[in-house]
Amino acid sequence: MKRFDCLKLLAPMVDEHMLTVTSLSSNTAFWSDLRRKGANFFGCNMGLCIPFALGLTVAFPKRKVIALDSDGSLMVDTSSLITVADVNPPNFVVIVMDNGSYARMGSTFTTRKTDLEKIAHGAGIAKTGTVGSEEALLTAVKQALETSGPHFIVAKVEPDRVRVKGDPHRTYGRFMRECFVDAVRHHPDYQQARK
Amino acid sequence: MPGLQPSYRSFVKRRGALVKRFDCLKFLASLVDEHMLAVTSLSTNAPFWFNVRPQGPNFFALNMGLCLPFALGLAVAFPKRKILAIDSDGSLMNDSSSLITVADVNPANLVAFVMDNGAYAFMSSTFTTRRTDLAKMAQGAGIANASTVKTLEEFSAAAKRAMESTGPTLIVAKVERDAGRVSADRSRTSGRPMREWFMEAVRRHPDYQGHR
Amino acid sequence: MDQHSVQVIIETLKEEGIDLAVTLPEEPTFALTEAMREDPFFQAVTVAGEGNGIAFCAGAALGGRRVVFVTGIAGLLVGTWALSQMGMVYGAPILILASYRGDFGDHSGIPGSQLLMFKQVAEPLLGALRVPYRVVNQKANLKRMIQEGSFACQDYSHPIVLLLSGEVLW
Repeated sequence: MKRFDCLKLLAPMVDEHMLTVTSLSSNTAFWSDLRRKGANFFGCNMGLCIPFALGLTVAFPKRKVIALDSDGSLMVDTSSLITVADVNPPNFVVIVMDNGSYARMGSTFTTRKTDLEKIAHGAGIAKTGTVGSEEALLTAVKQALETSGPHFIVAKVEPDRVRVKGDPHRTYGRFMRECFVDAVRHHPDYQQARK
Repeated sequence: MPGLQPSYRSFVKRRGALVKRFDCLKFLASLVDEHMLAVTSLSTNAPFWFNVRPQGPNFFALNMGLCLPFALGLAVAFPKRKILAIDSDGSLMNDSSSLITVADVNPANLVAFVMDNGAYAFMSSTFTTRRTDLAKMAQGAGIANASTVKTLEEFSAAAKRAMESTGPTLIVAKVERDAGRVSADRSRTSGRPMREWFMEAVRRHPDYQGHR
Repeated sequence: MDQHSVQVIIETLKEEGIDLAVTLPEEPTFALTEAMREDPFFQAVTVAGEGNGIAFCAGAALGGRRVVFVTGIAGLLVGTWALSQMGMVYGAPILILASYRGDFGDHSGIPGSQLLMFKQVAEPLLGALRVPYRVVNQKANLKRMIQEGSFACQDYSHPIVLLLSGEVLW
């Protein structure tokens, strides 16, 4: 499967009130291109995408929060999956784009013995799956968005052959952060979490 | 059980009778020869292990998340000797990614024990008691020989098997919470002094390849 | 930490509207985190590692929650990577209460070599990470320190650390 095609399939399924977080990977460039509305946090560095998105689930408990992570990033801190299982948010969907490589710097452990879905399951996340086709991805994501989670989906994708760069201002650093916070403040559920 | 919070009493009842950490470590010490290296986490593993195996190359009381990867390093430095990692649930959970590294390096001589008492010292229950299965996470990481034991018989059998076979092996032992604070000779089980005793034992080790 | 300090901290956090309490349990602050866990005002979350703990706090904070992360120097060390991102890069307003292990007055019984390391590293670490902090070691100004720290946290939009020590912690 190609990462871009997967994300393209995903985009129309995510409504404007859902929140998304991408990891530092081509998830960022691709997703920022496809997703033009709503509150999106782009380019979260290694190991931080899932826990950051988990924090959003307790800020917006009535909205689906989608973490678009990558294999290398998740493996830096698999303990975040234990925290996810313990907080157990029904509105959380984690999709790991597993291309088995660190950008263009060689293969990761998922090309050898590591099975991220199994780790997530061991951590205590009950609803897990691994998909290798667009049909399977579509089905898995549809179910995740329509039922109570947390959901953990590994999408096996091909490594990208070309380096893709997103708009550096919209997708990194302080300006991205301001756009995100602005969208969050205008969200209808802003600061309604404990009401 | 006096002195425990009511919520913890019911948690202990739910967990059922558990094996005692000290009994496990005492048995383990009986399988260990003078040239095996052992590493413990910061927990009662340290004073207990010092009690049952005071001599030999032991590295005591590594802080959270560091026990398993440090032991892995020793496994690579001493490939012909069994290396024992005596870790704890809270410590391993702090850096569970180390399981992936262990699986990938795949050291035949590493035997890791996770003494899981479901708590951080005396402070409440941790996730392993709720939803996390550390042995399963280890399998997901790629460590095929990962299992959970709940009795001394199971522990003894698993430990013996691990010492006689090719690793890496990970054994999660569900142990009782400790009854009280245990102390041991500080100069032997912590910090710089402990490190000097360890290095002295390592320098005298027949397989040592480093600077004397 | 005695019950009086625990109560002052909890009361002040409530007044500041901080209703998300995140921790990885450690002994010096255990009385505080347990009290917060039992108080229905707080949503209490326990994390498996301080790295993912700080990132979690950042997501919640930028998402609009008022959050406090209770930890110690060791936790700050483990969470350094996350703090560098969530502090310097993203300015997430996280109030951090950290027990100042190794500061003078720590008779807790941890080996001296660890305590010395914590004492030598703690403040330079926060300086290196550009995280504003204060040492809070007097009961008389505990309340005010938390109020001021919380205000600064929101106003700067940045993590703030209050290092608990002296008669407040021991």
